[in-house]
Amino acid sequence: MSAESYPEMSFEARMGTVDFRIHERPHITLDDRKCVDCSVRGCITACPANLFVPTADGGILFNYEQCFECGTCYMVCNEEGAITWTYPDGGHGVVFHRS
Amino acid sequence: MSAPDPSTTVDPSTTVRPTRAVVACVKFTTILPEVDPLDGGVDPDVRRAGLSESDLAAVEVALRLGVDHGVPVVAVSVGGADADPSLVELLATGVARAVRVDTEGAPSATVAGLIASALHDRRIDAVAVVCGDYSSDGGSGSVPAFLAHELGMAQALGLIEIEVEVPGSLRVVRRLDGARREVVSLQLPAVVSVEGGVADLRRAPLAALLAARPGDIEVVPGGSTVHLEPARQRPWRPRSRVVPAPQGEHALDRIVALTGALVERTPPRTIELPPAEAAQAILDQLAVWGYVDDERPGTTDAPTPDAVERSDTPPLLG
Amino acid sequence: MPDVDVIVVGAGPAGAAAALEAARAGRSVVLIERGPFPGSKNMYGGVVYGRILDDLVPQWWEQMPIQRWVTRRQTMILTDDQALTVDYRTENWGRPPYNGATTFRPDFDAWFAERAVDAGANLINSTTVTGLLRDGNRVVGVRTDRPDGDLTAHVVIACDGVNSFLAKEAGLYHHDGAENYTLGVKETIALPRDVIDERFNVRGDHGVDIEMLGASPDVPGGGFLYTNAESLAVGLVLSLPALAASGLRPEERIAQLKAHPAIAPLVEGGEVKEYSAHVIPEAGFDMMPELIADGLLVAGDAAAMCLAAGIWLEGVNFAIGSGAAAGRAAAVAVRHGDTSATGLEGYRARLESSFVLADHRKLRDAPHLVMSDLAQQRLPALACGVVEQLFTVGNPVPKPGLRRIVRGEMKRNGVKLRDAAAQGWRALRTFG
Repeated sequence: MSAESYPEMSFEARMGTVDFRIHERPHITLDDRKCVDCSVRGCITACPANLFVPTADGGILFNYEQCFECGTCYMVCNEEGAITWTYPDGGHGVVFHRS
Repeated sequence: MSAPDPSTTVDPSTTVRPTRAVVACVKFTTILPEVDPLDGGVDPDVRRAGLSESDLAAVEVALRLGVDHGVPVVAVSVGGADADPSLVELLATGVARAVRVDTEGAPSATVAGLIASALHDRRIDAVAVVCGDYSSDGGSGSVPAFLAHELGMAQALGLIEIEVEVPGSLRVVRRLDGARREVVSLQLPAVVSVEGGVADLRRAPLAALLAARPGDIEVVPGGSTVHLEPARQRPWRPRSRVVPAPQGEHALDRIVALTGALVERTPPRTIELPPAEAAQAILDQLAVWGYVDDERPGTTDAPTPDAVERSDTPPLLG
Repeated sequence: MPDVDVIVVGAGPAGAAAALEAARAGRSVVLIERGPFPGSKNMYGGVVYGRILDDLVPQWWEQMPIQRWVTRRQTMILTDDQALTVDYRTENWGRPPYNGATTFRPDFDAWFAERAVDAGANLINSTTVTGLLRDGNRVVGVRTDRPDGDLTAHVVIACDGVNSFLAKEAGLYHHDGAENYTLGVKETIALPRDVIDERFNVRGDHGVDIEMLGASPDVPGGGFLYTNAESLAVGLVLSLPALAASGLRPEERIAQLKAHPAIAPLVEGGEVKEYSAHVIPEAGFDMMPELIADGLLVAGDAAAMCLAAGIWLEGVNFAIGSGAAAGRAAAVAVRHGDTSATGLEGYRARLESSFVLADHRKLRDAPHLVMSDLAQQRLPALACGVVEQLFTVGNPVPKPGLRRIVRGEMKRNGVKLRDAAAQGWRALRTFG
């Protein structure tokens, strides 16, 4: 029995281990017109929940629902004003149990 | 059903005037059950527990009905003290009273009985009773039906829309099979249960939350924690029966004979009857199939489904 | 008159300690938590050093929810296919008053916040603070996202975590660039208790704390592996700008670490039960915001009180220490009727005289040293290379002298004696 014999879990399964209590209000919004000019696009690599997905037209698709609320995206963001970041409404968002 | 011990319960019905109110029934339970894949056990982590979406919707519906009918809302819950923080929060959202019948593990019929006696003992005259459609821990959604029986009220369960036509009369929409809907005009008092999507519970104002105290919850002793239900001796499936060995020369023929796939069968029928007779017809048919025990005299030797299919009365459409 | 004496924003370790101390001093306290319960938003590596609780919760070890007491501590230096481990174990850390314990933050934080409630604080869950209420420059309360959600107080203590929008709104942060932060990611991996006991050579409620250098070769940071009762915590700490520029995602890096020959046998066969992530204020003393404003104190991660100094990785204890100091200082200021920045100056004095600022000031260079390219990549390769040559039996070639091995490895890994000496001297001054 070796580690290699177990495939790494899918990203969906990985995120499926986390309890998210989703609110209808997106607590983070992305103005991806600003992303078109961004050469760095650090959010795509760094977001631990992989919520930033590049689109064919040069923009970035963002989904707030499985967000860890960590702050990585706005910290590594290169374009002023591209990301508007708030916390979810009270009682919503990520809920850790074994962290 | 175990009624509250009369020696410990003062009967306030003689002293207190009845209060008209809309009643919201909620259950503190696991909302995100973590099921052990091996033994099927559910992790009782209190931090994964709360009031289900449909129960929260029920409270919001109750609050709106309360306004429309000019009466306060009373939240009733049957369960342990774990529920108290959730009930305190309900008080802060605008629920006037929160009653918790202190008992655990009661089956649906008992829960309904406990709620009915709590309402009776506290002289709460329910204008309407609103419940969530079913609890998120694998509940059967049967408490509202039992409750309607206990209270002698009409019922409309599993609602996806609810609005007040005029005070005392509701127009509600039920979800039916096959994406169909049933619009029902409902005269109050009645027991309704709602799906979670019907309404979002308003948030408690901060000041009200700061003022709310667990002591504000009215805790009613629920009697013995041992709830005696007639124990069910066998699983929820038809009685097993002897099937004669199939005839046929080849294995395929025998399998086909065994499944009855190519045998002509009596088509299902739809019967229309008044509610009471329809319920009886359903029970009779379930007894014929062996899903429920029919203990009425003379019917213990229920015919097998094959017998029914050969008889003149075709089976009901499931 | 304000609604209450003290509002504490955030019921993590800092906020709970602040609320506990202010409430004990007889002040009316509201403790506001945005999650459904304290700890629900919190994640960390995995060890709480509990001695800070001695003054706050007598006999804390008898009631604190723990997974295992750390009695075995390893520092592991990794290259792609080598590992050099310093392993220390002591039974002293497995009996009162103990040292560090692994615990889940949702368990620990909820327990600790409950102590504040016992002391009289009013804990309000599921409530997000959206901003400060001000009268001129003075902070007079907070706005929450609840209806009728404004609440006023003599003092607001911001324990709102690493992103502290309150400290930022008050203009207290001057060094909040991404280079001062790291991302922590981890997996909680379930394994049967006896398998953990066997793999990590521990028994009962004793456990292991492994810190790793060189666990994420191209991104400065570190790795960790802690034992819980019936699970492992495996994760990485990654410098934000380097991670963003690297093109390799955090979970892929965890997968790499789990496949390392020194780690794979420890984690294999386990089931991931939770994946989690959180940002860490990494730069210590040099990134700290101003801690005091009129009517406002900042504590815990919100004040960058995390100590990420290589061999020491601590945060919860600093959060508790700073939170308790803030709670006491706020209570005194309220009693004296002066909650201006001057009146709250006692907070700084308390921090200066305790380990909180003393350690941070002393170790202010440590984060830079630890995150340097030399410490992250070349020294691990050098150390592993030296040890490998030292213990590789190459008969019939005679054993080379240690000096020759070191010189050869330094050359191979591009470590100049001058740089190493300079770094060594800085390290001595910092850690010595």
